[in-house]
Amino acid sequence: MRPLTPRRILFTCAGLCGVLFVVGVISLRMGAYPISIRDIVTTLFNAASGRREDIPVEFWQVVFGLRLPRIALGILVGASLSTAGAGFQALLRNPLADPYVLGVSSGAALGAIISLILAPHTVGAIQIAAFIGAASTIAAVYFLGRRGGQLDSPTLLLAGIVAASFLSAIIMFLLTMVTGSELRSIAFWLMGDLTAPPPVTNVLGWLGFLFFVFLVAAGAMYTTSSDLNLILTGEQEARHLGVNVNRVKFVVYIAASVLTGLAVSVSGAIGYVGLLVPHVMRMLFGTDYRMLIPTAAIGGAIAIVVADTLARTLVAPTELPVGAMTALAGAPVFIYLMRRRMR
Amino acid sequence: MKIGHGPATVIGWRFARAESQETYPNWSKLTLFAREGVAICLALFARLFYWREFTRARRQLLCVIYFLACCGTMQAAAAASQQTPAYKRAMKFVTDETGRRVAIPFSVQHIVTLAPDLTETVYALGLEDKLAGDTSFCDTPPAAKLKSHVGSPQTPNLEAIVALHPDLVLATTSINRPETVDALLRLGIAVYTSDPHTVRGMLQSIARMADLMGASEQGTALVTQLQARLDSVHARIAELPLVHVLFVVWEDPLITIGQSTFIADALRWAGAESVIVANQNWPQVSMEEIVRLQPDYILFTENHSESNDDQELSRLRTRPAWKALKAIQTGHIVKVDDEITKPSPGLVGAVEQIARELHTEAFQTSREIIPQLEERTGMEIVAAKSAETEWMFCAL
Repeated sequence: MRPLTPRRILFTCAGLCGVLFVVGVISLRMGAYPISIRDIVTTLFNAASGRREDIPVEFWQVVFGLRLPRIALGILVGASLSTAGAGFQALLRNPLADPYVLGVSSGAALGAIISLILAPHTVGAIQIAAFIGAASTIAAVYFLGRRGGQLDSPTLLLAGIVAASFLSAIIMFLLTMVTGSELRSIAFWLMGDLTAPPPVTNVLGWLGFLFFVFLVAAGAMYTTSSDLNLILTGEQEARHLGVNVNRVKFVVYIAASVLTGLAVSVSGAIGYVGLLVPHVMRMLFGTDYRMLIPTAAIGGAIAIVVADTLARTLVAPTELPVGAMTALAGAPVFIYLMRRRMR
Repeated sequence: MKIGHGPATVIGWRFARAESQETYPNWSKLTLFAREGVAICLALFARLFYWREFTRARRQLLCVIYFLACCGTMQAAAAASQQTPAYKRAMKFVTDETGRRVAIPFSVQHIVTLAPDLTETVYALGLEDKLAGDTSFCDTPPAAKLKSHVGSPQTPNLEAIVALHPDLVLATTSINRPETVDALLRLGIAVYTSDPHTVRGMLQSIARMADLMGASEQGTALVTQLQARLDSVHARIAELPLVHVLFVVWEDPLITIGQSTFIADALRWAGAESVIVANQNWPQVSMEEIVRLQPDYILFTENHSESNDDQELSRLRTRPAWKALKAIQTGHIVKVDDEITKPSPGLVGAVEQIARELHTEAFQTSREIIPQLEERTGMEIVAAKSAETEWMFCAL
């Protein structure tokens, strides 16, 4: 096996970024409103050179108002979810772990439902309440999941699952109190929905803010990547090799939870990406976390952009839920890679 | 302002300048963003460099990544200073029924409706030529199926709406999502959202929408006519006691209507009352409760099943809990026109139908009310007797 060098990581990531760029351009081209590639290039060029008046109003609305923000949000959500998934799989040393395994999505959903009951029709209330719900679940599960003053993986997993089912029960109870129109919003939110407008009018500023939170959390997780490799061989072994296991676990736990909370609060619970993409990247590029974390982030972005493009074009003008598309397109790819590796 | 060294210095500077960031095109925001970015990056670098076993190569790699990230964030912030353009047209500002303040052009030429009842209203107002698109659920009148569709009411395709160049998009709270309306308003498209909870509210809503679409005369005429039909029903059954009914929205599990739905209000206009009292709009109730309450009549909508009344009755008589109901034993079930499920002009027809089915004795002499009707509406009413001994009124 070739040694893992920064150069190899950079080249692999650059290659994946290239794929992401191509997928993004194709996604920008596809949609119910017909725009040719040439028009898109002209529109982008005019926008970049500041000539807004040369762009037809509808092109502006479709490209900058609808498609670009949606693609950017998809990239952010996909990258966050699959980075968080890779983190949780190492933290819990369990290949079935995904970003929602510790109840973060249930906490976020509870927050969203409470906001819909208390303050319906308030733009942005869902996102903020969902993030508060996610953060409080993270804190609660963290304190429940400690044994003898340190994070214990099996206890943490059990605490997360219990918290998730308890919160789901509260959600079921509260749903009977919600009337028609709010119920509709929450149903779409629970399925995962990239169409909801952001809570602020400055869309790109909002995306920039989310990108920044992503970079901070993913960067913090990346600093622990070589320690994660050792922890995966066993906690005792890692401890003997000089890894501060508790500290690594704390950093990974907080970073992965923040990433999940971020994704869930802006787009609802989109399933499967956080579980499948890290596994696919492991099969393609190896299990070293120094390689896995960046490739999983870019791979997750590609997966969501592809799934969302399919979701809004397959049966246009009606749109499918993006969560259904990730499972539909992701499962066959995963099975193929798994069978190929077994041979 | 410079206090100390390190990341905190920069953050302090940011708060000191926070008041002056409202300008357009907003270069100050860009610098603020950059500073924030530098601050967080510095904090991260401090974290990274003190991390044990961190090799030089990886430190360099992270430097490059974070530099690129900062550039990307600054780019995003620069682009953020651009806003979506507003139409340069004569606009009037109205507050819609959900309290949103929207700018709507004075002359509306292209309308897109996002719900079947709104499509029906547009047709009833005779504005079908201005209707550029509707949803794939719109099937009444049949001509509405031929208009270009923008998807389903809950997940309409926003691009398809943009492509139709609408001056006004009509939405309703009863089926559309508020997110859709907000997203359209962000794009600078005028959206009027109706929110009818009663039959009267529906009439007011029709009048307001007609006014916005530049058809206030047709709107007034339509509302007057619908109100007259409701009044004539009311005149016949006002003295009669309310009939206790069960309105079946869904049979298994049993879902019925709450007190604040327009269906409950329509039932009251038709001289009926739901046996279930619930604050929820679509409560799920237990069969035991229905057996205890023993409704006089059971109402189904037409799309509930294809079978006719007799087949439906014999089917329900075989079901354990249903056959314990007196209404089923005596055959008191009514299939209501689907129009009852939509707050549209057709709702009045459904009210008339229910009133006629539940209070048969009050509808035997139709000719008496025609003079009253003519007096109230100021229009000449022609009554014609059709083959099925149904009375039809035509306003001239």
